Amino acid sequence: MRRPATPALFLALVAAALVAALLGVALGAAPIAPGELLRALVGRGSGTAAGILWSLRLPRVVLGFVVGGVLAVAGAALQALVRNPLADPYLLGLSGGAGLGAVVALALGVVSAWALPAAAFAGALAAVVVVYRLGVVAGGALDSRILLLAGVVVGAFAGALLSGLLAVSEAVQVKTATLWLMGGLGGVGWIGVAALAAYATPALAVLVAEARALNLLSLGEEPAQHLGADVARTKRRVYVAASLLAAASVASAGMVGFVGLVVPHAVRLVKGHDHRVLLPAAFLLGGTFLVLADTLARTAFAPLELPVGVVTAVVGVPVFALLLRRWTSR
Amino acid sequence: MDLAVISAQGGPRAGGAKDGSGAGSDASGAVFELSGAVVRYGALAPAVDAVSLCVRRGECVAVVGPNGAGKTTLLRALLGLVPCAAGRALALGRDAHQWPRDALARAVGVVAQREEPAFPVTVREAVEMGRYPHLGPWRAMGAADREAVDRAMRRADVTDLGGRWVATLSGGEWQRVRIARALAQEPQALVLDEPTASLDLKHEMELFELVADLVRRDRLAALVVSHHINVAARFADRLVLLAAGRVVADDVPARVLEPARLAEVFGWPVAVQHLPDGTPQLYPERRTPPREPHP
Amino acid sequence: MARSPALLLLALAACSPRPPAGGVSITDDWGRTVALGAPARRVVSLSPSSTEILFAIGAGPRVVGRTRWDDYPPAARAVADVGDGLAPNVEAVAALRPDLVVLYASASNRAAVRGLAALRIPVAVLKLDLAADVGRAAYRLGVLTGTVAGADSVMAGFADSLRALAARVARRPGPRPRVYVDVQASPPITVGTGSYLSELLAAAGAANAFGDVGLPSAPVSLETIARRDPDAVLVLAADTLHPPDPAVRPGWRAVRAVREGRVLAVDGGLYGRPGPRMPLAAADLARRLARLGAGAGAAR
Repeated sequence: MRRPATPALFLALVAAALVAALLGVALGAAPIAPGELLRALVGRGSGTAAGILWSLRLPRVVLGFVVGGVLAVAGAALQALVRNPLADPYLLGLSGGAGLGAVVALALGVVSAWALPAAAFAGALAAVVVVYRLGVVAGGALDSRILLLAGVVVGAFAGALLSGLLAVSEAVQVKTATLWLMGGLGGVGWIGVAALAAYATPALAVLVAEARALNLLSLGEEPAQHLGADVARTKRRVYVAASLLAAASVASAGMVGFVGLVVPHAVRLVKGHDHRVLLPAAFLLGGTFLVLADTLARTAFAPLELPVGVVTAVVGVPVFALLLRRWTSR
Repeated sequence: MDLAVISAQGGPRAGGAKDGSGAGSDASGAVFELSGAVVRYGALAPAVDAVSLCVRRGECVAVVGPNGAGKTTLLRALLGLVPCAAGRALALGRDAHQWPRDALARAVGVVAQREEPAFPVTVREAVEMGRYPHLGPWRAMGAADREAVDRAMRRADVTDLGGRWVATLSGGEWQRVRIARALAQEPQALVLDEPTASLDLKHEMELFELVADLVRRDRLAALVVSHHINVAARFADRLVLLAAGRVVADDVPARVLEPARLAEVFGWPVAVQHLPDGTPQLYPERRTPPREPHP
Repeated sequence: MARSPALLLLALAACSPRPPAGGVSITDDWGRTVALGAPARRVVSLSPSSTEILFAIGAGPRVVGRTRWDDYPPAARAVADVGDGLAPNVEAVAALRPDLVVLYASASNRAAVRGLAALRIPVAVLKLDLAADVGRAAYRLGVLTGTVAGADSVMAGFADSLRALAARVARRPGPRPRVYVDVQASPPITVGTGSYLSELLAAAGAANAFGDVGLPSAPVSLETIARRDPDAVLVLAADTLHPPDPAVRPGWRAVRAVREGRVLAVDGGLYGRPGPRMPLAAADLARRLARLGAGAGAAR
């Protein structure tokens, strides 16, 4: 199996990203002619078109890129950390914690605009901390298998509390919570997007810095140590950075599944496991995938808007099945 | 002879490295040193009990002994992977536990007992990982690094395997690739834990010949843990016989392989023969007589 | 010296938010000031209740967009449908070029408020959960669309009808019928006090079998329903020609009212929304309950 050269791969990914961005900006529930779109882009369009473009579609596309990219990178790193190809950013109890935080905020009727994302973020962080404490064995090292188990357990517990809350909530609240949980990229303005990007950058930098260590980690913890990796430190850093990224993305966009799980595998199939290439490539592919999924979610049944998490799952499952078949038939 | 604790400290070979202050080997070339090291796992009896040991550049030391004697724990102590409850473990004159992992990886190449290639890599990619300790997280491979990899692959005779997937290699080839990786680290010492456990005759001999050659020509220090006493006796400069965490003997193979002592350590009657070149080889006695051949 | 307070007052007056001359302004239920330069001519109404109110007060011709659930009055069906009222598609709404968007007060509409504000489209967020909200919403919608007179007359009629009904049901002999409101079949969900349907029951002279529940809605067990033995079961149906029948649900025959066929299937659109038709719904309910009480047998 020939692998594409790295520069060619990145060129292709960047091109795909640009195409996705173009589609995301050009398509939507309100039909805007291409000519009008171009005029709006250069600042001379009509009020409605320019407003829709700059205030609605562009921030949404940028947010989609950042969230999709961040989820893919966090997923790839976590899969290397727990040496399990089924790991995804939400597996470590995050999704349960975030959902619970958001639904509690809804149930309390908190009205401030930032309450919901802040509550989701707080819930996610609480889950991360609990899972971390559970995953630490004697001597302060993170045990990957215990981490996985702890994540599943904490997520299940939070999920149970969430279901209980929803069972006694108003129908409208339930619908609101459900819609939020299923993921959506609307409603985050430029400020939110900028905040997320600024927050995500250091965490992404940490993960990229640990890329070589992650390569070594996939050989096993002892061989990695013999080759110079500070395994305990790497595990800690990767876990914290990936969790923070996932928590922030859940707070901004609800639960968008499958991106963190499937995109890293897609890149690995094409280009292998060197994390120095895998992480940036996953970022680009994840962003592209999410923007395309969101565009589909917005336009497939316009004016009804599907939750983007539904589209990523519906598209992601067949893709994953395909990958699985190629994988096991090697 | 009973199981008296024989400390190598008292012998003429273990001079010099008492202060162990600086990093790097000292004048006598001691790369690894244990003095009175005790390692415990939890509250159980010590896995390594007051062991003193010294390995220098240009010498090959084989650690042998029955299962559970503490051989692997001894390696871990020397590499700073487990702390010593008492005594000292020094690597290149410095407390093994204090070494930062990447610095130690620049000095010591380790080939552990088992390694499952977790994902598909080519042989060349695998050997290149040996350069990571020199590259750090950011630096890309330069010409010097690539040369080091080429040299290592030549030395371990895996150059023509370069493009093969690691999963398609035979056991012997995979072992040589891992040695190439260790050599790519440009170490001063090699540590091998049961390197020939699953290798056939040809590959086992090849591996030991390679190690002996590396020790002799490149002046590496080699510490080999092995079950295969006979092969080790033919290639090692010294044998360290370990039993129940203690050093029973630490000397040239001819003096270590004594039938009475071996029988007691291994719990099985053994006899010792000599090869034409004088190397002693042990063979275990049978309890039941061999069957008569059919007429 | 005497001029300073006057100047101060003038200055203060100049600073306070004021609509321009000819403009209208209200404060919506999220505390936001909605100020328009002129009464709205293109309104997108994103809840069934507000759509009904707009048409009732005479602002129907100004409505250019509605949700897919807004089906009353029939004239509303001719208006463009922009999808859901909860977490609506902002782009689709914007494409109609409205000068006012009316949203239902729910947390899921926060994003839409932000999105529309970014497009500088005025948004009024109205709470429409209880009977009292109808009048307040009608008045404010009247202000925003320049149909205050219509709003006043509708609400006057609203109040008169309810008063008359209250007097009628007060004259009825016997205890108030106890009604179980079937919101969802499985698991059974009913309404408690603090819900619009509970108020509707009260206006019709009935009592809620689960009036002790403080929440607007709550899941209950079939056993409890059977034990409370309501006089009638009220089922809200989307399709009144083929309404759901509790008698065929497993276990529901334990409830006496179901066994005896005292099940009222009513139009969910008429009964379920706080709106100008509340007096109609209440009167209808009172009539049906009276018929039920007048003789044995179902009154469908």
